[in-house]
Parts: sequence; C-alpha cells; structure tokens
Amino acid sequence: MNREILISKWLDNDLNDQELEAFKALEDYDDLVNLNQGLQAFKVDAYNTSEELDTVLSTIKSNKKQSTHWFKPFMRIAAILAVCFSLYYYTTTLDTTITTEFAQKTTIELPDTSSVSLNAKSLLTFNKKGWKHNREVELNGEAFFKVAKGSSFKVKTKTGLVTVYGTQFNVKQWDHYFEVICYEGLVGVTYNSQETKLNSGDSFLIIDGKIIAKEKENRSEPSWLNNESTFKSAPYKAVIAEFERQYGVHITLMNIDSDQLFTGSFAHDNIDVAIKAITLPLRVTYSKTNHTIILKRE
Amino acid sequence: MGKQLHENICEERLFSSIFNKHSKDLHNFLYYKFGELLNPKDKVQEAFVKLWENCSKVSPDKAKSFVFTTANNLMLNETAHQKVVLRHQQTKPKMYTNESPEFLMQESEYHDKLQKALANLTEAQRVAFMMNRVEGKRFKEIAALLDISTKAVEKRIYGALEKLRKDIKEL
Repeated sequence: MNREILISKWLDNDLNDQELEAFKALEDYDDLVNLNQGLQAFKVDAYNTSEELDTVLSTIKSNKKQSTHWFKPFMRIAAILAVCFSLYYYTTTLDTTITTEFAQKTTIELPDTSSVSLNAKSLLTFNKKGWKHNREVELNGEAFFKVAKGSSFKVKTKTGLVTVYGTQFNVKQWDHYFEVICYEGLVGVTYNSQETKLNSGDSFLIIDGKIIAKEKENRSEPSWLNNESTFKSAPYKAVIAEFERQYGVHITLMNIDSDQLFTGSFAHDNIDVAIKAITLPLRVTYSKTNHTIILKRE
Repeated sequence: MGKQLHENICEERLFSSIFNKHSKDLHNFLYYKFGELLNPKDKVQEAFVKLWENCSKVSPDKAKSFVFTTANNLMLNETAHQKVVLRHQQTKPKMYTNESPEFLMQESEYHDKLQKALANLTEAQRVAFMMNRVEGKRFKEIAALLDISTKAVEKRIYGALEKLRKDIKEL
C-alpha cells in the first residue's frame, strides 16, 4: 500500500487492522507518533460553552437597554427640532394681515415697493413668501393700489378678482357693493368668471349683484385719499355705511328709502359739517347723541 | 426542514442551541487561525451578539456561516489594525502549559521547533491540521465546518504534515 494513502488514512483515523500494521511498518512511524504527541501540547485552552453563552446573553440584554438609552433622547431631540422647524415654517409662511379701524387710514408698502392705501375698517392680507412669483392680496374693504412693475398682481375679494396690468386703481368691496376704479394703466376685473378690462378712468360697479354703468372718472386718485368721500348716484345706504366707517358712529334711518340715489361728498375731519353734507340735499333732519345719529324725514 | 423555515433565531432557546452547537468550533477555528493574542473568545462573543442583532434576517441554517464569516472579518479587521505593532507569525498558537517538572531539554527544543514550524504553515493549513490532530476531528467534519470539499481538507492536512516534518528537520 502506498505510503501517502496510509498516512492520509491514519490522519483521518480510518485505518483498519491490516493497514495499521502496514502503517506501523513505515520507517517514519516513530517520527509521526512523536510529532503527534508534541502537537497535543498546542491544544487550545479549555472552552467553556455554557459560561460563554451566559456572557453573550447578558451582553445582548445590556445592549438592548443601551439601545433604548440613546434612542429615547434622540427621539426627544428630534421632536424638539421638528416642533421648532414647524413653528419657524409656520411663522415665515404666515400671511401678513393689515386691518384698519373706524376712522383710520393707513398706507403700507408691499415687498416690491407697490403701495396700498387702506380706507377705514378694511382688511388686507398678503403673503411675503414667494411674493415675487405670486403677487396676490386679499381685500375686504376699500383700498387704493399703486402697483410697481412686475408680474401680474391680483386682488382677491369676496365678489370678484381684480387683475392688474397697469398701475393705479381703487377697489371697494362692501357687503352689497363692489366697485373698481382704474386711475392709470389697465385693470382686469373677473366677476362671475367674466373678465372686464378697465382703461384709465373706467370703473366697474356692482350693487346687489347688478352691474351698474358709471360715467368716466377724471380724477387722478380716489377722493378718500384726501379725506373726503365722494359719491355719484350711489345708493343712500352705501353713503351711510361709509359715514359710519369714517366716524365710528351708528346711524339709524327713520322713514328714509335707503335705496335712493345720492350724489355728493362728505369730509372725514368734521362730523358736523359731514352730517350736514349728507342730510341737507335730501331734506332730512338729524339728531345726534354720543355715537348714535338718527336721521329722520319729516 | 420545513419547520425550520418558520423558526426565528430571535428566540432565545434556538439562539442558545445554535451557540452551543457552533461556538466551540468557531473558537477553535479562530484560535488555530489567528492565535491567542487577538482574543478569539471575544470575537466569538462579538460574532454571536451580531447574530442576535440580525436574528430576524439570518435563517437558522445560515447562522453557522454567518458567525464564522463575521468572526473571521472581525479578526481580519484587527490584524490589519495591529499589523504595525505585531506581525502575524508572532501570534501563532502558544504552547500549552501542562509541563511536568521533569521536562527534558530535548523535548523543549522539539517544542520550539514545532512552534516555529506551525507558525510557518499557511492559515488554511494550520486550521485544518490542528483541528484534525489536536481536536480529533475527521476530514468530513472539518470539510463541513470550513465549507470546502473533503478532498481539499485531506490535501491541506497532508500538505501541512509534510511541511511540518520538513521544517522540523531543517531547523
């Protein structure tokens, strides 16, 4: 039998009796046995499986605790950051709202130097964020706009949408009253999804849902900017409402048709003169107590 | 076998049984391959902790090769790390100390030679050879452990034997 095979079989503990004899007869038998004995000295340290298992299991359990240790504070920090970020995001994208009280007027500048004058008891909302791409304001009340050049400028009101192509215009929107007057340039008014274009001097008026034609406007800016309210064939109730807003008073009508038309004006700085201005032409008497004025027709 | 598919190593009972089955072999494998200085016991532990962390991803029949590969990589990371400080040959299996007082000079010399000769074997040779000679494992078992053929195991062990004897004679 081949020496190599014998040794291989010896290594694999696979010798039968006959082969063992042959193996022992090999000249390097002693040498091999000697080597084999010598090798036993290199045996690895005893390995205690159950002890090691306990160590591993305890490591696993402590690791589990540790993992929650870092996870919890991490979640806390993340939560705080999320709250801060959403607050920041909320406040920066928040709409800017400007309101005026009774008898108050204000002029504000929009982010692109367009300016808006707000008449009394009005509300204007716009969003600073993305102003360049989306120039849009919401209006409830009356305001005069001087729009800087740029992309289209829109004024949203409950009644209609005003799109600005040019520069100066006035928007007036009260309960049953919607009026746009263009003083310079070109303005589009969308009402009931129909757009009307106004050239300078044109106006657009809707009272109680009816479009009313008006003659050309030849002033360069609305009169209220000069502390005067001017009306041309306006229903009396619109005049009264404007008066209430300008002076912060309450007016009661007695025996008076609130739909009759009124042409005239009143000033914003003197209530006695103003009340005469709106009562005398209609031959109406008035009595004034504190913040209430009663108008009466004899 | 079909049942095994649904078993999960995350279960402590199964995890323990896998540990009992393979940890000793793994430890011996690491010891004979890399020597004692790199703490094979620690690496076994680390590898099994990693197995636990990945218990849902590793199926029970892949667990053995997972821990072997992991532990081997852990060792390799460390040897790469320590290369400068300590050359691999110096981490060879250390002589086991059960010397009786009447150790003969000649025997001690023989040990030294053997130690050097073992260090000179390739890792693959040394692992297979020591598992066979010292741990008394048969070729088939070693083949299963190392995921190689029985023939390859035989080749490695026989090659190791020849090389050892040659080296000892020369030293």
